[in-house]
Amino acid sequence: MTRFVLRRALAAVPIGLIVTLGVFALVFAMPGDPLRELAGDKPIPAAVMAAKRAQFHLDDPFIVQYLLSMKDIFTGNFGTTFAGAEIADQLRLRIPVTLKLATLGLVFQWVAGLLFGLYAGFRRNGMVDRLLLLSTLVVLAVPSLVLYFAAQYVLGVELKWLPVSGVADGYPLSYLMPALCIGIMGFAGLARLTRTSIVETANADFVKTARAKGLGEQRILWGHVLPNALLPMVTFMGIDVGGIFAGAILAESIFNLPGLGQFMFQAIKLKEGGVVVLLSTLAFVSFILINLLVDIVYGAIDPRVRNV
Amino acid sequence: MTLGLALVLSACGDGNGDSGGSSAGAKSVVIAITADPLNYINPLNENGSPGIQVAQAMYAPLVTTDPNTGKTVNVMADSVTPDKTSQTWTIKLKAGNTFQNGQPLTAKDYVDSWNLTAQGSTAWKNNGFFSKVEGYGALNPETPDGATPKPTAVKALSGLKLIDDLTFSIKLKVPFSQFGLTLQYLGLAPLPEEVRKDPDSYKRKPIGNGAFKLDGDWAPGTDIKLVKWDGYKGPNAPAADAITYRFIPNGDTAYNEFLAGTVDFVDVPSSKIKTFKTDAPDGWVTATSSGANYLTFPAWDQRYKNPKLRHAFSMAIDRKAFADLVGLATPSSGLISPDIDGYRSDACKYCGFDVTKAKQLLAEAGGFSGPVNINYNTSKDTGQLFAEALGNMLRQNLGLEVKYTGKQASEITELADTRKLDGLRLSGWGHDYPSIEDYLTPMFKSSGDANFAGYNNPALDKILAEGDAQPDPEQAIKLYQQAEDIALEDLPLIPLYAKQNAYLHSAKIDPRESKYTGVQALYSTFQ
Repeated sequence: MTRFVLRRALAAVPIGLIVTLGVFALVFAMPGDPLRELAGDKPIPAAVMAAKRAQFHLDDPFIVQYLLSMKDIFTGNFGTTFAGAEIADQLRLRIPVTLKLATLGLVFQWVAGLLFGLYAGFRRNGMVDRLLLLSTLVVLAVPSLVLYFAAQYVLGVELKWLPVSGVADGYPLSYLMPALCIGIMGFAGLARLTRTSIVETANADFVKTARAKGLGEQRILWGHVLPNALLPMVTFMGIDVGGIFAGAILAESIFNLPGLGQFMFQAIKLKEGGVVVLLSTLAFVSFILINLLVDIVYGAIDPRVRNV
Repeated sequence: MTLGLALVLSACGDGNGDSGGSSAGAKSVVIAITADPLNYINPLNENGSPGIQVAQAMYAPLVTTDPNTGKTVNVMADSVTPDKTSQTWTIKLKAGNTFQNGQPLTAKDYVDSWNLTAQGSTAWKNNGFFSKVEGYGALNPETPDGATPKPTAVKALSGLKLIDDLTFSIKLKVPFSQFGLTLQYLGLAPLPEEVRKDPDSYKRKPIGNGAFKLDGDWAPGTDIKLVKWDGYKGPNAPAADAITYRFIPNGDTAYNEFLAGTVDFVDVPSSKIKTFKTDAPDGWVTATSSGANYLTFPAWDQRYKNPKLRHAFSMAIDRKAFADLVGLATPSSGLISPDIDGYRSDACKYCGFDVTKAKQLLAEAGGFSGPVNINYNTSKDTGQLFAEALGNMLRQNLGLEVKYTGKQASEITELADTRKLDGLRLSGWGHDYPSIEDYLTPMFKSSGDANFAGYNNPALDKILAEGDAQPDPEQAIKLYQQAEDIALEDLPLIPLYAKQNAYLHSAKIDPRESKYTGVQALYSTFQ
């Protein structure tokens, strides 16, 4: 077990290097001077320009800038953003916001995805199954922006059930609408995968045997079908956790939640390579951890793939 | 097509909101600012509109524009007196004003705050303002690429002289008749001594001299809550007792917040221009924004060198149709904003829509070879639409081949600055102080810092200098108009349209519309 974890951690190092270098190169390759982006059309005094260029190493070659950014990340010496915000402060404020949004969003996504998927899979071609097919098609076709603004208008402006944006109303009230939107956008994939997985397993010989033995339907579902159908579902849920951070970039920006996604959005807008790489590194590390967790859960679910 | 920032100068009310001041406590207003939250409050290091907007509530300027007459009136200053040549300006402060920490506001506070800002190594954004003052060069030596500017041995502008506790004088490098107007800029606000000593530790607990102060602590990334400060003795305090600035970066979200009733004042985003009047039938207001929008030629491209060709382009554009497309806009026929003194609605001779004349002028100029490239800003949703509308007019009316290039605004500006931009671009400008001069100098003077066309005409530079040296305002405007005429004959920029801004406000407030500064929620009166 320990060896397995260590091996995975070691393998993450070169991947991390490639990811961060690639992300940094992408930001670096974006056209235009980042400091100019900050100032709009107004002229920037030469002294201010020089001081900022020096502070953010903007005159150094690409690889030097990258290494300096990585050094700052590993020494925990984050510095400030172009606009003058302390990055450490920002992380302290923003990480909880994103975690709250992500967990609540995942709860919606997983509960809806699993319930619909299980039911539809077990009652194949029934009413719920057909409804699921239709609703997932609709959900997959609606752009998230449309859903976000529609939710703001219906739930916030017209019905006044939930706040339109911001975190002024605290957890969970402020987070319900964006989390619900994330849940709606994300549940379709899991629901359909769960359904397929259940259907496939339900046709397996051992299920027929169980039924022939005269076991009750409930017992067959929970005791025989589900455990065997779980593996692809767990994989998908792991990927979901990673994907939710990507979704948070847009959701936090639209719903004005001061989380990491909004920070990422601002940093990309201003071409702040250092911040983008820092956030990518955070995302990367959490993704590696989640993947590791998924692999360990695999072993618990299915002895055939145990990595010990 | 980023319009210039820092449009928001100070303006003070005529006090009419104070008359009904008996209804206690209820006069609070929540103002949405569609921008990322501020990270600090320091007017001297702030030239963007969100920061200046907040500074406007917390700091008082030396002088301001009367909202009704447009005349300059004193706020912290008792008098502002130029010498005969407009080169040395003496400012006397009113006695008895203090900072919000109780310390008296003295001439030394101004002189020291300005010296600190003028020092290049401080790296504050309003450093450039002081480039007109004698001795600026000594505080801002050339810095080699990649090096941090070092503090200079000289710490003070030689042009700034402290005369007594309440009086100081400013000697400029060259005469500048409009300097008095520039003193209303909030980027010149004074900082008290304790802040000057350690600005960083006060960046979230600013000490102002204006009508409002922070209400409690202000954490980064959150709304800014202000309450009325009793110590403000200046004229025309806003009627509100409390103000909350709410930062909502997405304009559509801010708009929805208004519709949900959680904010009292919001800008109408471009996506709602067609619907805001029905969305908030009783609570909308529009006003001409101080600014102008242009189609800019590259002076470094020989193909655009003939003025007749530029006249032809200008006359091939149907400004009325274009303004309709922009929405809430009026066609321009001059280079300055319509609300500025000295604006003439008939200034431009080549801004009428006349296809026959345009074709004739193009033929006289010898035609145009190759496609016309129009650069547009990809980070604005309307960038491509506007570029294509103009391109279609040039194509249909002049038979030109047109192509379009989408780039980020900062890249377009950078390319134009280094004279490498291929083709035309859309551009905009808004003044920092309400003077015709603040349109002509930045964009048309050969050394202008927003001269994105790369335009250079010594005759225009000479008349601008004459205007700058003319102490009589009326006479100065006449000279500046001559300069505008030269620019309109050369036409390095084609005037396109002046935009109106639209805002929504709740039923409890009535925002004030002021000359030069437009609609302001800060000075709202209450029902």
